Amino acid sequence: MKARKLPLVYPTAGFAGLLFVLGAMWYAASSQNNTAVYLLFFTLTAVFLVSIPHTLINLAGVTVTVESVQPAFVGQEVSLPLEIMNDSRATRHGIELILSGSDGEHQRIDHIPARKAARVVLRFPARQRGEHHVETLCLTSAYPLGFLRFLKKFAPAQTYIVYPKPAGDVRLPSSFVHRRDGRPLTELGAGDDFAGVRDYVPGESQRHIDWRAVARGQPLMTKQFAAEAEGVLYFDFSALHFANVEERLSQLTLWIIEAERARRPYGLRLPGNEIPPAIGQPHFHQCLRALSLFQSKGVRA
Amino acid sequence: MSMSMSMNRSGSKRDRSIPRRPLLWLAAALLFTLPPMFGSLVRWVPCVFLLALAMKFWMEPRGYRLRFATLKLMLAAMGLFAIFASYGSLKGIEPGISLLVVLVSLKVLEAHTAREFQVMVLMGWVLCLCGFFLSQDFVIALCLLTAFALLLVALIQFYRGSSPGAFWPPLGTTGKILLQAAPLIILLFVLFPRINTGLRVDFRANRFASTGFSDRLSPGSIAALANSSEIAFRAEFPGSTATPPGSMYWRGVVMWHCDGMEWRAPYVPVSISSRDRGTRQRFTNNTIRQRITLAPHGARWMFALDRPFESTPGAILARGDYLWSVQTIRKARRYEVVSSLGAAGKDLTPGERREALEVPPSISPAVRELAQSWTTQNPNPRAIVNSALQFFQAQGFRYSLTPGEYRKNDLEQFLFHRRVGFCEHYAATFATLMRLAGVPARVVVGYLGGEYNDLGHFFLVRQADTHAWCEVCLPDSGWTRVDPTAAVAPGRASLDLHSFLERSIASGQMETRRGGFFTQLARSALFTNARLALETLSYEWDTRVLAFDADVQEVLLDSMGLANRGSLVLIIEILIVAIALLVIYFGWMQLRTRSRADRVKALYERFCRKIARLGARRDPWEGPSDFSTRAALLLPNESQRIREISNVYIALRYAPEPAGVALDRFAKEVRAFVGPARWSPKTYLFSAKGASRSQPGASSQGPSHIRKER
Repeated sequence: MKARKLPLVYPTAGFAGLLFVLGAMWYAASSQNNTAVYLLFFTLTAVFLVSIPHTLINLAGVTVTVESVQPAFVGQEVSLPLEIMNDSRATRHGIELILSGSDGEHQRIDHIPARKAARVVLRFPARQRGEHHVETLCLTSAYPLGFLRFLKKFAPAQTYIVYPKPAGDVRLPSSFVHRRDGRPLTELGAGDDFAGVRDYVPGESQRHIDWRAVARGQPLMTKQFAAEAEGVLYFDFSALHFANVEERLSQLTLWIIEAERARRPYGLRLPGNEIPPAIGQPHFHQCLRALSLFQSKGVRA
Repeated sequence: MSMSMSMNRSGSKRDRSIPRRPLLWLAAALLFTLPPMFGSLVRWVPCVFLLALAMKFWMEPRGYRLRFATLKLMLAAMGLFAIFASYGSLKGIEPGISLLVVLVSLKVLEAHTAREFQVMVLMGWVLCLCGFFLSQDFVIALCLLTAFALLLVALIQFYRGSSPGAFWPPLGTTGKILLQAAPLIILLFVLFPRINTGLRVDFRANRFASTGFSDRLSPGSIAALANSSEIAFRAEFPGSTATPPGSMYWRGVVMWHCDGMEWRAPYVPVSISSRDRGTRQRFTNNTIRQRITLAPHGARWMFALDRPFESTPGAILARGDYLWSVQTIRKARRYEVVSSLGAAGKDLTPGERREALEVPPSISPAVRELAQSWTTQNPNPRAIVNSALQFFQAQGFRYSLTPGEYRKNDLEQFLFHRRVGFCEHYAATFATLMRLAGVPARVVVGYLGGEYNDLGHFFLVRQADTHAWCEVCLPDSGWTRVDPTAAVAPGRASLDLHSFLERSIASGQMETRRGGFFTQLARSALFTNARLALETLSYEWDTRVLAFDADVQEVLLDSMGLANRGSLVLIIEILIVAIALLVIYFGWMQLRTRSRADRVKALYERFCRKIARLGARRDPWEGPSDFSTRAALLLPNESQRIREISNVYIALRYAPEPAGVALDRFAKEVRAFVGPARWSPKTYLFSAKGASRSQPGASSQGPSHIRKER
């Protein structure tokens, strides 16, 4: 990421206080002709001035890179994993990372040793489906005295995807069930024969998470039940009877999540875009991506 | 590769509480602002401040704080009332500072968020400012400047957050900043215009009680000063390495008005006319020049060795040959004065004679009889003086710091019954007796002796050295000094008071109330040396720093040839120098902390720019190896060096950690690589010449070919 050559500078709230104290010192010294107070005034002035290059240097050689952003559903939080690299040969202190746009989302990193990086995750709510640009990132620092804040802007080229909000009927539609191998379908139902566990898919209901495994320190797993693992589904956008496009997309999203959780092959049919039935993570994300980009106006800022 | 860093999530609205480490630094800093307060404010004010600090440490980890607005207001009102009750008024500097201290205490109790920490530090700096109003003494200044630095440490530690290292790293950063600030401080101190705002508010009017003796000498008034180690003044003898011979009697004030055992100086002294001064100078041959640095004492006395014969600027030479300042002395003052060590030969005018013989009618017959007996014995004034001195010596008079209470009419008590007294008793009694016996006499109050400081080569005179002696007017020699104390306590005149008391205690002659252990400690060699060093520093502080006021600055600027510029021009010039300094600091820090990889990259970019000017532009996607091949083909004259530099670059760029030596050589090569800086006829000529030298025959071809390409 390319940063501007010179950081921007703006005073903090403490700067007004400092100016007031300096003014008071100057007034006291000059009205009383008090040499000691003059000395104090000059010392504080000089210390403040010298702190400016210290603050400026505190940002030199510090860069930020956005690592790959996981997709999120509308209503969830987008996690923006960032790496703040300190390329210089000195430790950097008190660096703050601000994401412009979202409501003052910021993170403070107290210290990054020389030639080391700090990892930070910024979180902000996902509001709208589609593909978005990562907002401009600001690295700021007021170290060491906190009277002036220097700011370096980074415009990342990365984008992230926000999937539609899953909503609607949780039950998988039987009308969309297609035959496979000509055999008759088994009846769908909430079987309770435990058939093992598989990886948790973001957006799934938390009721099926294997919490005991989590308590043992294992990653999030979803419990699978025998009756669910049957049949092929084909979700068709035009077959849904909602007036609103977003509602249709939400319903489709929910079904895709449910079908993936139930390990049942599913396909997606959108106007002008058809994804043949399959199963697994790449397919899952391909479908959701198609839903989130459906009729959207390109990449949003 | 990456390390997990400690971080605080502060995206939420909830503020962080103040961490413990910066709070500790802040508390330490604020403790250092206390000493001047304890000296000059009502005792309970700094105590409240201390209590608030202690409570803060108890409250902060428990999450308690002063929360309710009504409680805060009540406490503030209570403080205001208590200050009013203590001082009887809210006007003046001390109630003002007391109020500020109380408010800071409340703020300390109330503050709980990160933002308020900065406010507390700023308040600490204001407290330093207040401290300098109360005292500018060296030790106090040292405390306050320490407090200033510690506040800086606290602020830096606060912004360091949870970075490792609570003690040395923030101290180191503070030290670095202060060190870098030092040239700026000196620059500002010397050059910054000391504009007088003209909005003078005399804060000190009712606070500055005078120290030292007053214009009234009453029994016990000097003994009260005997334990004061406060500095009265320092004296140097410029131009002479030797100290003056004999005892040093520093003349302060001459008292003419006799009231038994109490003497008084004229309220407004009469200046000696210049005609008198002219005749006096002819008589003087044994003179000594002194440079006196006076500690502010709130009165108008100015001291000089017995006896000054010239007034200094801002002072008059009063009748009785003492200096009297035109203004009250409220800040350290330095002056030079010349004294003559001989007696002043001058006859009294009839009026003066009458004044110098005046005695109050209340003196008892027994005392009058005693004085008359000496006159009838021998009417020669010298003989009368000797008789009186012999009387003191022979009749068992004792010298004591604690002679008990005397009132001004207790002359008889003193002379015939109790016979114990301090110098003021002897001086007052002796002068009164002389007047009764018909010899014109007056009392002089000043200082006797002083401690020599080997390091700084000056004499230090303390309030404890205050002394009173007499002068009698003898027909042949004029006003002559007689010290009756010397008759009672021989040796006092040659030592300063403390040494004298020490010896007296050792030989069992003196009764004293001074403790043993601490006196001994104070007399030990190590302690004495430390004290001397401190006094030297203190002297330097007073004479070099505090004395550098607007007038001295004007003289200095004049000598530097900067006198005639306006304040604004001077400020702008200071600003330019300051900015240059800051840029230098930044460049230096950048150079020290920039990674080698960055430097290699920057150097290579510079090299590419140079080649681009010669005609071979590197495409963004082109690797250094490919580019060097292409550039070498385009610029056959420089092909060898282009290849060399590129190879070094590739080696350095992809080395795990570029070696410093190789890097420096690379930098040198890039710098030495010739390329026309900008297109101009001059550079064209030079490059053509250079090309012709390296490749005779194809001289004009290279450059023109390059020009076409551009």
